[in-house]
Amino acid sequence: MENMMHDHDVMLRMRQIKKRFGPLEVLKGIDLEVCRGEVLAIIGPSGSGKSTTLRCLNRLETIDSGSIEIEGQFLVKSENGAAVYAAPAESRRLVGCMGMVFQQFNLFPHMTVLENLMEAPLQVKKMTPAEIQPAAEDLLKKVGLYEKRHAYPSRLSGGQQQRVAIARALAMKPDIMLFDEPTSALDPELTGEVLKTMRELAAEHMTMVVVTHEMAFAREAANRVIFMADGNIVEQGDPQTFFRAPKEPRTQAFLKNML
Amino acid sequence: MEKLMETVVAILGGSKVTLELFLVTLVMALPLGLLVSLARVSGMKLLSRLMELYIWIMRGTPLMLQLLFVYFALPMIGIRLSDITAALLAFTLNYAAYFAEIFRAGIQSIERGQYEAAKTLGMTYTQTMRRIIIPQMIRRVLPPISNETINLVKDTSLIYILAMNDLLRVARTIVQRDFDMTPFFIAAVFYLAMTFVLTWIFKRLEAHYGKYDA
Ligand SMILES: Nc1ncnc2c1ncn2[C@@H]1O[C@H](COP(=O)(O)OP(=O)(O)OP(=O)(O)O)[C@@H](O)[C@H]1O
Ligand SMILES: [Mg+2]
Repeated sequence: MENMMHDHDVMLRMRQIKKRFGPLEVLKGIDLEVCRGEVLAIIGPSGSGKSTTLRCLNRLETIDSGSIEIEGQFLVKSENGAAVYAAPAESRRLVGCMGMVFQQFNLFPHMTVLENLMEAPLQVKKMTPAEIQPAAEDLLKKVGLYEKRHAYPSRLSGGQQQRVAIARALAMKPDIMLFDEPTSALDPELTGEVLKTMRELAAEHMTMVVVTHEMAFAREAANRVIFMADGNIVEQGDPQTFFRAPKEPRTQAFLKNML
Repeated sequence: MEKLMETVVAILGGSKVTLELFLVTLVMALPLGLLVSLARVSGMKLLSRLMELYIWIMRGTPLMLQLLFVYFALPMIGIRLSDITAALLAFTLNYAAYFAEIFRAGIQSIERGQYEAAKTLGMTYTQTMRRIIIPQMIRRVLPPISNETINLVKDTSLIYILAMNDLLRVARTIVQRDFDMTPFFIAAVFYLAMTFVLTWIFKRLEAHYGKYDA
């Protein structure tokens, strides 16, 4: 019984994920669990496999072996050492439980802000504009961009574009939000507004996995920090302990460079 | 003066054939070209290779030859087409190939992030192409499509070898009858007028699609 309760609260479970690009083994057996309402920060040097980990979760990359469970259901399972994916419709449904925010925003440039938010609910959930528009406008108010709802993305600042991208992902009502360096493409003075939006989301107990170079965000907003290097999880822990007393030499060296 | 009017009216009559060939070819070749380009990028190997072969043949041989082939070779295997149908078939197949290559280049110029964003939002491949990729592609290919369309205006004159009374043939007939070059100048004015209108239309289209640019 206790075990079942526990299982219910595990939103994401990766087991022994291996992924290679040609001769390069990028993920060397990643084990990761994320619980409901948890904010997980993933940090690590460039090329350590942080983005690839996220991209394997939502099937932007295909894993070579291992298994991924999303809310208790297999996106991909290991059968005789090979990775076997769920059928396309099921796979799309599971991936649909997660929203993704990219470093480069990837807004649809030919649509207004509001249209960007409404597109997926219209197409994927087959909702009518009348059904989706109020919710979309509420989301825009929440990220402070309601006044820009009829603007095209090219007219917005980077920080505004990224907040629209967050709202666009939220419009699909995901259970989990994935962020891949959401502030790395922004001028320093614009990162604050995006981090603020993310903090608000964390305060509402959204389950979040955030790849970031913002140590302050990892320290203050995350419940758990993971340090990756060379395709492995080297160390993890709660932010206080992790930043105050990192155990592994690689973590210590990395943190020393960051601060 | 009266004679000039007569000539203009005769050439106007000829321009009907020219306009018909131009418009029908455009209306058929654009969607066909889009379908071919989608088959090219579909990832279905055999289909993609077949389309590549088709494009290679259409772009690698003269339109004139294709026109003569449809006109003379098809009747030999029992397919009888009217003059205008034969011309439309050859023109459509030829122009669809050129349009397909333009569309393909346009599709491939769209950033991967657009596909990834659509995918993580749960959209299918078809939805992604229809709603996200093709609309952006159209904006980008307007200048080369405009060029091809203006080429088409001029290429319509090729059908004069099929003894059809298009704009150019009508003009030439009068020149030969009267030993007077005026009909050629009038024909030139007709072609220029068509190109002028097209250029204007494409400018408007570019402005319309350009509203989302920075
Ligand atoms: N599509 C790909 N093809 C080949 N190699 C790739 C591909 N994507 C990533 N890699 C390689 O995999 C390794 C891990 O990349 P990844 O993007 O996951 O790193 P990262 O930790 O996100 O780094 P960064 O902090 O620079 O974003 C790198 O060496 C990268 O060059
Ligand atoms: Mg990365």
